Amino acid sequence: MRVYVNDRDVDLLPGMSVRHALIQAGLLGDIESGKKAYDEWGNEIGLEGALAEGVKIYVESHNGK
Amino acid sequence: MKRFIVFTILIGFLIGSTFVNAEVIEIRVLHVNDFHGFAKPYKPFGSDEMLGGISYLAAMAERLRTEKPTLLLAAGDMIQGSDWANLFQGRSVIELMNQMRFDAMVVGNHEFDFGQEVLRERISEARFPVLGANVEGMEALKPYVIKELAGIKIAIVGIVTEDTPVSTHPKNVMGLRFASAEETVQRYVNFLRDKADILLVLSHIGFHADRVLAEKVRGIDVIVGGHSHTKIDKPVQIGKTLIVQAWEHAKALGILDLTVEDGKIIKFEGHLEEIKPSLGIKDEAVEQIVKGYEEKADAALDEVVGDAETDLDGEHVRKRETNLGDLIADIMRETSGAEATIINGGGIRTSIRKGPIKLRDIYSVLPFDNYIVAVRLTGRQIREALEHGLSGLEEEAGRFPQVSGLMFSYDPSAPPGKRVREIRIAGRPVESDREYAVATNDFLAVGGDGYKAFGEAVKASRDFAVIGGMMKGERLVYSNPGKWLRDVVIDYIKARKKIAPKVEGRIKEVR
Repeated sequence: MRVYVNDRDVDLLPGMSVRHALIQAGLLGDIESGKKAYDEWGNEIGLEGALAEGVKIYVESHNGK
Repeated sequence: MKRFIVFTILIGFLIGSTFVNAEVIEIRVLHVNDFHGFAKPYKPFGSDEMLGGISYLAAMAERLRTEKPTLLLAAGDMIQGSDWANLFQGRSVIELMNQMRFDAMVVGNHEFDFGQEVLRERISEARFPVLGANVEGMEALKPYVIKELAGIKIAIVGIVTEDTPVSTHPKNVMGLRFASAEETVQRYVNFLRDKADILLVLSHIGFHADRVLAEKVRGIDVIVGGHSHTKIDKPVQIGKTLIVQAWEHAKALGILDLTVEDGKIIKFEGHLEEIKPSLGIKDEAVEQIVKGYEEKADAALDEVVGDAETDLDGEHVRKRETNLGDLIADIMRETSGAEATIINGGGIRTSIRKGPIKLRDIYSVLPFDNYIVAVRLTGRQIREALEHGLSGLEEEAGRFPQVSGLMFSYDPSAPPGKRVREIRIAGRPVESDREYAVATNDFLAVGGDGYKAFGEAVKASRDFAVIGGMMKGERLVYSNPGKWLRDVVIDYIKARKKIAPKVEGRIKEVR
């Protein structure tokens, strides 16, 4: 499936999670240093959250976009 | 005058009747989702703070229940995930949920990870209905339940993601069909419309899909969601449908207060309460269950699963072939049906000494929650992967490869990217343009440790199907997100009892 991390496309296998998307995008380290992952509506999402085709993820600092 | 008095009395009676019939009732829905057995507080990745702790959540839920008529609901993925849950195949979680008096739960995709028989056992132990209206073929799952709170009838319909067959091993869902969530909900909205005041969908399809559901199906009052692990701080309203979700891992308790008049919601207020040890108050009965299973888990980890007839080397995995690297790579190849395996030595964290092998030992060797994936790589891509694995030789980087089904030679004195010499699979030189099924773990498959070679195959595997119980795609050979690699290794050792892997000369230094 294809999802988007910070508006860049990332291809994953079915069953993969937000964590996999961030590894693929090279952004897991940002989470380790305190940033959070958000959906396109500004809700924080857990790293083990399931994904679906077309989902958008944004990695931002904790205090929002 | 008499007529006027009678008229006034009649009007007064009518007004009084109207006032009595327009009773305003306050009810509450408490909700959790994606608990995954995270019973104890923990420090999430990237966080400095301890969060969660089901005993704290339970205490809060109990207090909130006393304030108004309340339902406590679980939106799926409760029984599988942590060791606390997995070591007991979810029995610990059901016991906990019974103690907390959950009113209903929808099945999540991960509820199927232990297989259908275990799921049926867990459902039989639950003192609450487990729902799954769009799951065909499992009678233990109910499509809906109607609960009554202060005279208000609430119909709760449960739905789970149609992607369940591809997020667990296909054998776990053999014989089951996961129908369209949208069509299923529409059918039950029509059926339940005149049987309940409020229609609530307990959903494990993800927030994105919940929004689409709310747009397409009229008549849903509330969607209590899960699956996407979304922290929805305040209810989202789409049309007349409210959507809520309470994050994950008992880090939040969702609270949705509804004001109901004449059977209709006239007002709502919702928020998440974050759960953390600093709240201070635990539910002691729940805490006893948590501690009790913690002790059992500790004892379970001392179970002997087999015998190592030689030391299993997990120390040198970042610089050379080891027998433990060979063993794990072999298990992955056999399980996935691949022709070869390439994994990162850094995923193997310690050694096991000759003698009895305990469950705990395997957990120490393979502490990460990784699972097996196999994709088709060309010979060229295999070479690229091995070159990358060898590029960090000097610093003994974790990307050093451990392999199965293939042997290769390399010159450590050559510059990075030009070290690999011969590569053979099944004894034959690897052909650049020919494809080979190669097993790895999910971490490497998405580019972990800098491995790019698997990414192209993953990209080309966007279209696939479940055929004959196995996932098949253009370049996808195997994927089982429902079972950790360490559990596969444990099963392998249990089946064979004695293991004595040897270094076989799969990785050769040449100068």
